[in-house]
Amino acid sequence: MVDAVASISAIVLLAVVTMATRVSGVWLMSYVAITPRIEAFLKYMSVSVLVAIVVTTTWSAGPRIWLSVGTAALAMAATRSAVGAMLAGTALAALARSLGF
Amino acid sequence: MSDSNECQRPRFTAGGVWRGSVEIAPVAAFVVPFGIAFGVAASATGISPEISIFMSVAIYAGASQFAVLDLWYAPLPLATLALTVLAVNARHILLGAALAPWLLQVPIARRLPALLLLSDSSFAHAISARDRGERDAGILLGSGLTIWIMWIVSSAIGALAGSLLGDLSRFGFDAVMVAYFTAVIVGQWKGRSDPFPLIAAAAVAVAGRHVLPPGWHIIAGALAGGIVGVWRHG
Repeated sequence: MVDAVASISAIVLLAVVTMATRVSGVWLMSYVAITPRIEAFLKYMSVSVLVAIVVTTTWSAGPRIWLSVGTAALAMAATRSAVGAMLAGTALAALARSLGF
Repeated sequence: MSDSNECQRPRFTAGGVWRGSVEIAPVAAFVVPFGIAFGVAASATGISPEISIFMSVAIYAGASQFAVLDLWYAPLPLATLALTVLAVNARHILLGAALAPWLLQVPIARRLPALLLLSDSSFAHAISARDRGERDAGILLGSGLTIWIMWIVSSAIGALAGSLLGDLSRFGFDAVMVAYFTAVIVGQWKGRSDPFPLIAAAAVAVAGRHVLPPGWHIIAGALAGGIVGVWRHG
């Protein structure tokens, strides 16, 4: 367990980091132009961090999570509904658990 | 309606804030399942409802809040947490840059609260409204406020439900985060997208797991993806 004071301090830090990302786009643009290089970096980094998390988490998890990730990917490709894909992935993980995986 | 000359200049009024907050409501309902999922996933990680609700109030950025759950152990790895949140939320910088021509003409005291509640969906709403001729930047603040409140309420429901349900893996909630992130990644995928930045991110993250301190393989993967993206598209 993480104690409350440590948790609250960490959340304040993370809130400040997030606020900085929200404010800095407009602020930067009042000084410099966002070049295509900066734009490409930020765009690919934002999705890459999610790829890194999914791949490493799935890599070290069992078949139950592999099935769940595959189901979510297929559901998203078929329906383009993020809510539907998340629910399908979660439901499959629950089903697999009830079957003893 | 004001005359057309006045309509050309960017404005920021209470009426605009109200309009934004009402217009976005049907769209904003989509955050409810994600908010509930976050609250439940947070309680599955052992985070008390008060703390996870405070996260939703203060951070208010869904994907980064999910990412934080993986790193929530004592002692908290602050540098890793901050860099991971920075990487996940770096896209806000692009949203702000796209809004700059509009918002830089609004007084800073009004611009700031609108930006602090900036999210993907309030951005999408504000930009599409502007393309339809909207000049009142108050709608960005209004739509941000509605989504913020829905996010807080739904994650509170999830957190309280999660703390009552006990072992959550039987409901599959330990899979919520990867399923959600997978959906976001696939959703961003267009027919002609370049897979190489994403392959680089995955390869560096997997290779870094045993070499780097905990959590840093994610940051290394994010940087690798960004660098390959610049190399191929910058």
